[in-house]
Amino acid sequence: MALPGVRTSAARSPSPTLDVADVQGLVVRGYGRLPHAAFLLCRVHDAAGARTFLRAHVDDVATGLGHDERWALQIAFTAPGLVALGLPDDVVEGGFAAPFVEGMVTPHRRRLLGDVGPADPATWNWGGPDTPVHLLLLVYAATAEVLDEQRTALLATAGDALDVVADLSTDELGEREPFGFVDGLSQPRLAGLPSGRAGGRTVATGEFVLGYPNGYGQLAPRPLLDPDTDPDRVLPRDPGGSGAADLGCGGSYLVARQLRQDVDGFTSFLRDRTRGTDGADDGQAQERLAAKIVGRWRSGAPLVLAPDADDPGTKYADFGYHAEDPRGLACPLGAHVRRANPRDALPPKPGSERSLRLTDQHRLLRRARSYTMDGERGLHFLCLVGDLSRQYEFVQHSWINDPVFDGLHDDGDPLVAPRGPRGGTFVEQAVPVRRRYRDLPEFVRVRGGAYFFLPGVSALRYLAQLPPTSDEESR
Amino acid sequence: MPHQVPLTIRAPLKPGRRAEVSALLDTLGKSIEHDGSPFAGMPGVHFARVFVLPGDPALDSGLDVPDTLVYLAEVDAPLRRHLDDVLDEESLAALFAQCAEYPERGAHGDRVRWARDHRVGAAAWYVHRVGRGVDQVRDEARLRTAVADFLDGRDWSGAGPGQVHRAVQDFVGSQPDLAWALAPAPLPGPLFRFREAVHAVGWAAALLPVSPLLLAVLPGWLLLVRRHERRDVPETARPSRAHVAELTAGEDHGTPNPFTAYGRVKPGFVRGVTIRVALRGLDYANRHVFARDNLAGIRSIHFARWVLLDGGRRVVFASNYDGSQESYMSDFIDRIAWGVNLVFSNGVGYPSTRWLVLDGARDEQRYKNYLRNHQLPSVWFSAYPALSARNVDDNSALRDGLAGELTEEGARRWLSLV
Repeated sequence: MALPGVRTSAARSPSPTLDVADVQGLVVRGYGRLPHAAFLLCRVHDAAGARTFLRAHVDDVATGLGHDERWALQIAFTAPGLVALGLPDDVVEGGFAAPFVEGMVTPHRRRLLGDVGPADPATWNWGGPDTPVHLLLLVYAATAEVLDEQRTALLATAGDALDVVADLSTDELGEREPFGFVDGLSQPRLAGLPSGRAGGRTVATGEFVLGYPNGYGQLAPRPLLDPDTDPDRVLPRDPGGSGAADLGCGGSYLVARQLRQDVDGFTSFLRDRTRGTDGADDGQAQERLAAKIVGRWRSGAPLVLAPDADDPGTKYADFGYHAEDPRGLACPLGAHVRRANPRDALPPKPGSERSLRLTDQHRLLRRARSYTMDGERGLHFLCLVGDLSRQYEFVQHSWINDPVFDGLHDDGDPLVAPRGPRGGTFVEQAVPVRRRYRDLPEFVRVRGGAYFFLPGVSALRYLAQLPPTSDEESR
Repeated sequence: MPHQVPLTIRAPLKPGRRAEVSALLDTLGKSIEHDGSPFAGMPGVHFARVFVLPGDPALDSGLDVPDTLVYLAEVDAPLRRHLDDVLDEESLAALFAQCAEYPERGAHGDRVRWARDHRVGAAAWYVHRVGRGVDQVRDEARLRTAVADFLDGRDWSGAGPGQVHRAVQDFVGSQPDLAWALAPAPLPGPLFRFREAVHAVGWAAALLPVSPLLLAVLPGWLLLVRRHERRDVPETARPSRAHVAELTAGEDHGTPNPFTAYGRVKPGFVRGVTIRVALRGLDYANRHVFARDNLAGIRSIHFARWVLLDGGRRVVFASNYDGSQESYMSDFIDRIAWGVNLVFSNGVGYPSTRWLVLDGARDEQRYKNYLRNHQLPSVWFSAYPALSARNVDDNSALRDGLAGELTEEGARRWLSLV
């Protein structure tokens, strides 16, 4: 499959408006009005049955236009899932990005993402070598009753065609994640979606949706099919102009990782490390240390704007690092939010628009929901990207997990990075001398994960009507 | 402190030896992974790698370029010491023995002669910090750990930065295994510095009088290049999964990573001259402008070299850089695409450029595919797998700050290094 038409000019091209009717709604909204959700991870048991299931529900899939006020359904597939559904191997391998095709659990990727030692995929609840997944059904609902109703109905239609590998429930959507921090404050805005939430950087649509120009003004490679395989023109045609039927247009890569959070461990850590010399607990110091680790107070107020005391009114405010806090005295250089989104702190020319644009190449559109299951608390981390390697893997490896991030020596992300032989230190910059916390316990542990493709609506229809494969027919 | 020297030894493999070489490379790789041997025991080795450079039967009709074994190392001077170490080392000698003309039964002197005969010079060479040897890197890392532990051990509230600085100086001076740090790092030898100065001034003096002529020729030259560019055909193939898996098996085990790539130089006079001039200019800039802590703003490269081979018809690039390949490629695409284009657009199959420096690497997918397609796996050793180039710089700055008095502001900045 040839690479799609690529404009090589480095000039910024105007971003076409996102065709919201052809993307699944998760690209446009986090379903804040549907506070109950469940994520069903399934394996295809019977391809024909799976396609029947898909045909039965493709009209239920919520698009970017809007959703039923009671519930919404989204559907995503892993690469083996697409093959199991009947998409030819060569289309999957040739058209989709290598991380998606190879999966999250290759040896190299395990090193990149820190899924080694006790976090090895062999220990995972789902997505590991013993528990592969094919499909992800994301069900959002206005009430717990509706959620249960829709979930049951879906599983009933699926019948034997799909095996449920994991049935992940979530907490009712609240403002805070399990460690007690307001979450989701900084989200990029898609350039092609002018009605998106105000504030936040505007980033090229193609950074999150395939078939649109990305941060380089180029169209990322996508599965482009011979138009003869799509005589009814279910799929849009390649925006790059090749005439091919575009299976990727309107789709996004969806990263899903179940992250267990050791809330008690975090609380104990804060208490132990801030205990006064008299042995008394210091609540204020605990809050302060927690804020230093995250980079925001629990209220969401950024340390850069509220360095000494919480100021909840600033939680939505925009800020930079270079002019306001170059030395990390307000927000430590290794704090979680500073790593996950360095804003204008990166060279060349920190503080400049150029620096901001560099960071724009590594943004994630987050759609996480917290969970409480079997006494365990955690986060079902979900994010949408256009380029798995440059966006998600880069952020996880080069910013979050990196023990030498921004000139640090042995510091992984103090809140979320896995603890290996390296990276267990947290330095809180200070004058005259920094405070160094060593041997940080691990607060977050990955329990499952996979790379999915969240197809555009036309692509879903196309997948639903795939013909049986020769394998199936020979049976 | 000694200056650093690039060593490239390249020798054709005896026919039919690929399998044996693979097995030996595998064993060498396991040994390095286990305890760094044999390189960990050799003084002055920053990085070392061994790889097979595939032959190219099409280079010249009738002139076959066979598969060659390449040994590539970044070492502290004197080079002879390292050559002696390498040629005495059994596991490496076993590899060299797979090469034609290697004097297996010869004396040590014969082997040294063989190595010198097969030595290839670098057309351009980059050193992150000229004159900082392996021992200095390791010692200063040790220093930092000791100073950091010392600072942890005391309550500094109420102290001024200058006061803390003096306390650290006292502490360092009181430790017999650290007291060396109070003296500034010695510069490279006077002969080396003299030679570099002569090179810097000499080239400038030679070019200055002809610079108006060169500038007059430049537009015409660029037009010629542009004509060639219109005829160039960029590669479009995606790298195979197997190839990428082989490459990534050796990546991201520590902070620094190796990168080795090769390609054919586009044929013809114009391209041949362009690449040679570009590499000369690059080498000059590396030696006299980028000798302290960055390469055109990029701070994450420890060493890099560009080698022209086979009569200038092929080029090999080898570097040691920090972070994942994804971040390395992003750095090049986002920050110095023009520089990468200047040299590598002279390679066959490179993504299309305009006017030598535009586009090229900015074609993100094609550029990333091109790199992977031209990249070679290697067996690789690094003397400081936990340190980024920036870490090493900061440790040096920490040491430098111990040498004398600092102002309060200077002390404050110095303390942010720990």
